[in-house]
Amino acid sequence: MKPFRVLFIALAFAGLAVPIQAKDMVVKEPPESLSKYYPPQSKQPKWIQQMHKMSTHFGGVFVNLKEKDFENVDKHANKLVEEYKKTSEMVPEWEDYFDVKAAEEFAAAAKTHDIAKAGKASGGLGRTCGKCHAENEVSVWAKFHWPSFHKIKVTDPISEKEIEFDEYMGSISSSFKGVTVNFSEGQYGRAAKALKIFKSRFMELKSTCSKCHAMQDVKRFYVGSDADTAFAGMSRELNADKPNPGKFWKNIGLLGKTGCKHCHLVHRTNSFIQEMWEKPE
Amino acid sequence: MKQSSRIFDLLVGLGLLGISGLGLLYFLINERFEWIPEFALELARDPQILKRPKAEKCSECHKNIFEAWKESRHSISWTSETFIEASENRSKEKCLPCHIPQSVQGEKPEPRMDLRDEGIYCVSCHFIDNKMNGPYDLLAPPHPTYRNPDYVRSGFCGSCHQKTFKEWKATKVEDTCQDCHMPRKKGRLTQKKGLNLLHKKRWVGDHRFLHGKITEKDVILETGWEEKFFSLSLKNNTIPHFVPTADNGDPRLYLYIQFFNDEEEEVDSAKEIIAPQQETALPYNKKINFRYRLFDPVSKAVVELKYQPAWSKDKQPVFSKAVTR
Repeated sequence: MKPFRVLFIALAFAGLAVPIQAKDMVVKEPPESLSKYYPPQSKQPKWIQQMHKMSTHFGGVFVNLKEKDFENVDKHANKLVEEYKKTSEMVPEWEDYFDVKAAEEFAAAAKTHDIAKAGKASGGLGRTCGKCHAENEVSVWAKFHWPSFHKIKVTDPISEKEIEFDEYMGSISSSFKGVTVNFSEGQYGRAAKALKIFKSRFMELKSTCSKCHAMQDVKRFYVGSDADTAFAGMSRELNADKPNPGKFWKNIGLLGKTGCKHCHLVHRTNSFIQEMWEKPE
Repeated sequence: MKQSSRIFDLLVGLGLLGISGLGLLYFLINERFEWIPEFALELARDPQILKRPKAEKCSECHKNIFEAWKESRHSISWTSETFIEASENRSKEKCLPCHIPQSVQGEKPEPRMDLRDEGIYCVSCHFIDNKMNGPYDLLAPPHPTYRNPDYVRSGFCGSCHQKTFKEWKATKVEDTCQDCHMPRKKGRLTQKKGLNLLHKKRWVGDHRFLHGKITEKDVILETGWEEKFFSLSLKNNTIPHFVPTADNGDPRLYLYIQFFNDEEEEVDSAKEIIAPQQETALPYNKKINFRYRLFDPVSKAVVELKYQPAWSKDKQPVFSKAVTR
């Protein structure tokens, strides 16, 4: 019987943690009323904190049922209902996602101190969470947990003019091509001049990263020692009397695999979503 | 005659009594305020001050400090256009703790919800546990005042200026942040008429939080020529932290190099951005080297350094020097 109970508890947790799966996902911009639960309107990200509170009380019921600490089971069950009700009133547009009766039924089942009954009653409650997560979690994270790329302005180190981030990425790409195309054609002097411009623009990204990232180590993950090594290597080849193409391209690869790829893998998906909301149609 | 002499004696006596009384009061206020019973001080407390007042309320007594603070970047930490733009209309969480600190006490503060337009103001730095804190133990009847030695230590500024504090610490220079950015002058802490004369003069820090001007004495340039290369070095000679420095802002030094041939025609140029966010800022007392390949014949280089603070788009000249081969 014991292994089944454990499995049951695991499934009950999974019901809350995993959203209802859907192959077609619509990423809809969250309602404006949610903004008051995130900085700057709020001191803390209150909405996600509220999610954590409910999740903790839900988990607290099962942890204590397993430990047969029934006093704490009751406390968590009561608190869960209290927080669930509170959450249901926070964003009027999302009121329908909540089923307070399901939360109360779960609490009542938990208070019988029968783990099987609690597990069974958790399904209805878990589905309300899962439905909202499936439909809104991605957009809430995209809007409130990720600063917007499209509002970032970058000072182009070459022109010293402030330009939009997207435009800046275009200028990096162009200067990169200035290096690779000239090198491929054996125009090493031109490639060296283009490299100075490309390096300057690439390194400017450290300042761009710092607009959001406060920690040096995070910035260095994108523009760090690999970039320094790659640029030093390319520069060495272009300053040599006979540049070694193998070494040159190896460094281009290093820069691409670390700097470009790291950033694009982490940030681009979210940036695409924000772009849909922020760019005029 | 006798009558007038008596009046004169009385006046002199009263005068002496008055002077002695004022002297005693001055002595009590400045030297032995602990003799004044707490209940008597309670009568003089201003309850509004004990509720995190606006800076203007503090200015009723501390006019000079208030006026200096008004000129500082601290006073516009929440309202400056540069901040609003850089923080995406104040939405970036990482900016809030230091731009609207609740209470600065040696570690990163919490952001506050009220009086945000005041920025980093009197209460942020001096109001702890319903008392005013500062570098002096003194009597200020409207509010309890406590001496806290942290106010003259760099660690206090390091609550927010964490990176700069670490840079300064590594230099082992004894001058603190306050020594350079809040130089002290003797003066009175209060300007309220009458009360000001009862308080002795003390060393008061400059609450404009001065930002020094970078000159060619601060950044030393050395240059050298090789057949196909021009090299130069820059050394931060006087400022005991990186130059420029910032935790999150983006101040910069722009280094421009123009190369000329014998005909005084510009044949090439180079540029360096020296900035804390790009990890290229100049450490204290260390030469940083740059080297440029010369693709064309060059006989002269002009090296120019300009400074752009984090809050401005304007560049201020530091130096411009021509170097011939």
